Amino acid sequence: MVALRINGTTYEAPDPGRNLLSFIRFDAGLTGTKYACGEGECGACTVLVDGGSLRACQATVGAVADGEITTIEGIARGGELHAVQQAFIDASATQCGYCTPGFIMSAVALLGRQPRPTDEQILDALALNICRCGAYQRIVRAVHEAAARMSEPAG
Amino acid sequence: MNEAPEHGLHIVGPVATTPGAPPAATRPSRWVSVLADGSVVAYAGKVEFGQGIRTGFAIEVADELRVPLERVRVVLGDTALVPWDMGTFGSQSTARTGLQLRRAAATAREALLEMAADRLDLPADTLIARGGRIAPAGGGRGVAYEELVAGTEQERDVDDAALLTRADEFSIMGRDHARCDALERVTGRAIFAQDTVIDGMLFAAVLRAPSHGATLSALDVTAAERMPGVAAVVRDGDLVAALADTDEHAEAAAAALQATWDEAPATASTLDLPELLLRSARDAFVTQEAGALDDGFRTADAVLEGQYYVPYVSNAPMEPRAAVARWDGDRLTVWAGTQRPFGIRTELAQRFGLEEDAVRVIAPEIGGGFGSKSPYPAAHEAARLARVAGRPVRVAYSRLDEMQTATVRPAALFNVKSGFTNDGRIVAWQFDAYHAGDRPFLGRRGSETPYDITNARVTTYTCDSPLAAGSYRSLGGAANHFAREVHIDEIAEATGLDPVELRLRNLAHPRFRRVLERAAEAHGWRPAAAPSRRGAGVALGLDVGSYAATVVQASVRGGEARVERVTAALDCGLVVNPEGVRNQVEGSIVMGLGTALSEIVEFHGGRVLSNGFARYRVPRAADAPVVETVLVGDADTPSTGAGEPAIVPIAAAIANAVSDATGERQRELPINRHLR
Repeated sequence: MVALRINGTTYEAPDPGRNLLSFIRFDAGLTGTKYACGEGECGACTVLVDGGSLRACQATVGAVADGEITTIEGIARGGELHAVQQAFIDASATQCGYCTPGFIMSAVALLGRQPRPTDEQILDALALNICRCGAYQRIVRAVHEAAARMSEPAG
Repeated sequence: MNEAPEHGLHIVGPVATTPGAPPAATRPSRWVSVLADGSVVAYAGKVEFGQGIRTGFAIEVADELRVPLERVRVVLGDTALVPWDMGTFGSQSTARTGLQLRRAAATAREALLEMAADRLDLPADTLIARGGRIAPAGGGRGVAYEELVAGTEQERDVDDAALLTRADEFSIMGRDHARCDALERVTGRAIFAQDTVIDGMLFAAVLRAPSHGATLSALDVTAAERMPGVAAVVRDGDLVAALADTDEHAEAAAAALQATWDEAPATASTLDLPELLLRSARDAFVTQEAGALDDGFRTADAVLEGQYYVPYVSNAPMEPRAAVARWDGDRLTVWAGTQRPFGIRTELAQRFGLEEDAVRVIAPEIGGGFGSKSPYPAAHEAARLARVAGRPVRVAYSRLDEMQTATVRPAALFNVKSGFTNDGRIVAWQFDAYHAGDRPFLGRRGSETPYDITNARVTTYTCDSPLAAGSYRSLGGAANHFAREVHIDEIAEATGLDPVELRLRNLAHPRFRRVLERAAEAHGWRPAAAPSRRGAGVALGLDVGSYAATVVQASVRGGEARVERVTAALDCGLVVNPEGVRNQVEGSIVMGLGTALSEIVEFHGGRVLSNGFARYRVPRAADAPVVETVLVGDADTPSTGAGEPAIVPIAAAIANAVSDATGERQRELPINRHLR
């Protein structure tokens, strides 16, 4: 039995060997994190662990039991969207939307460590995320836009 | 889901009245409702799988009804709630369904005008609809829709003569709108088939054949049945599955099944396919014939022959197929991310001997498809297993299941022979297209040449296909365009003409000429004889009634081609949501870029070897070019398709650009495999 912190809530996980993605989706009921490849190749299952990005399909519950996990459902604050979420809407950076949570989480992780990334840094950070609908140029634009908004002085 | 009857004004009509239409299509159903809370609901049998059709429909209905966009809710893809529909394919949603919704909304507007005329005791022709109200044209508050429909429950037939809003009077259509369902997508609240979980549900893991055509010869379930969490191991004919309390328990149990398979001997692998296509060609079908080929070749100054090849490619949508089925007595409900909810309903009703009304298929949000989610075996598997288990069952394909079992775009080989004059007039055109698979409509699409050639014959053939060939964005259209547009470039090279100029010399159709000229102009095309060594490429095409032209800037470094910049012009007539169309064009370009540079489904016999994203290379962010979309359609020309046409020229434009850069003609895809 391990305890798991997801989006500030503690969940009990009887089996430390349980796949983290399955736990998040079916045991915690947070289906915003997607299954798409199961091989860590596509990034649809990207979550944050202590602010860094992780492919949930490649981890077990036990491996992250000490960490603070954040999923796509946990990044809006007080009813206000995260800047990356809003930028994805504004740039029409989502088509089918299945990859969108994973891209957003990869972008949030990037902006956590690099507030004003270059094109190259964005492409690097998104290298393991696939958008089969091909919205890439809008996704990159959205990440830049979110970075600009997050860097504005609060006011 | 709220299914309580909602009071208001409902516009109803059949989908079709033509003889031979399915009975479900001839029954009147609701298209548009104006409800007592002032909201508007639009109903359509299409599904949302990334193309943004929910937003497009909302825009059309809001504009016709003169209400703010956010007041319109669109219900899609639920067979219990929406009008019958054949399926979401062929880019028909805006051209046909959208037009029907506009008629229904215009009917509602005219009905509301009449109702207001009664209420206000004013002639209807002195009233106008605006902002969700009917008011005197000369001024005055008038009356809100909700006041008009409150307490009423009335139905009106769709009036095919209802006055549609003229393009110069649009206030919502033709302007850029963000997706009305974007919020659910960026917050993770959008529910896809893979996300569907219902009470009492068992997770299934289906035993998959290792190759197409393999049959199960022996099975031992003893070990599987003893695995933790297993509720049952079900065998229903050819369907074997472990049912368990969790996904992982089901998968572990399925892995413990001791199965022996009879596989057909592998007679062909990836590299054998071109020869197999030629050897097995049959059912010659002439899609275009003009003049006399012999005369054409005799009068030509030069004759050119070329052979072109495209391998199998995979749709590979991000969401693998999944379905949940629940039986309530003899009634069946299936959640399935299919492009054909009504078709799947018919199939399920037939399989279980039920009336169609006893089966409800609900298509939730769909994580891509591009044609491959028309066949949906997961729905059948879930329904069969739930019937045996007596509990709801979820069947969710893994990536490997998806890549092994989904249909692929037919591989195709082309023999093209042309005759032309020294000044670049094409006078003879012989185009033979050999598409894998026995579904001839796939290969016929887009096979006809759009050029004005006096003597032409285009023939398509069906051929053996080791893998199941099926639908893909533009079907075989993009493959046909690849061969044709590369060959056209070779004619330009042979005659020393600029590739844009050569095309214009052979094109009379004004919409074709315009789309090409606008793409070239927007890109900054500078005429030069090919190869110019600049990495510039062009191609054009026609698909689902829309005209497309694409200009590409590419470079080659270290044996890899890279596409830097793409300018795509599209004429799809009236554009409902320019932002939505640009998104579809960009997506088509990126998808076509994958087929041009890196994508190939490798196989050995019936086994798919390219069965995951590590082994099937789709474009990633760093591969994506800068895409500029130029929309050139006229607002008073009826809408034609926008989801597919931009893919038909792109692979040829890229191949032509790479050939232009290297001086070596690219006739085979994917290019990065053939570059030295």
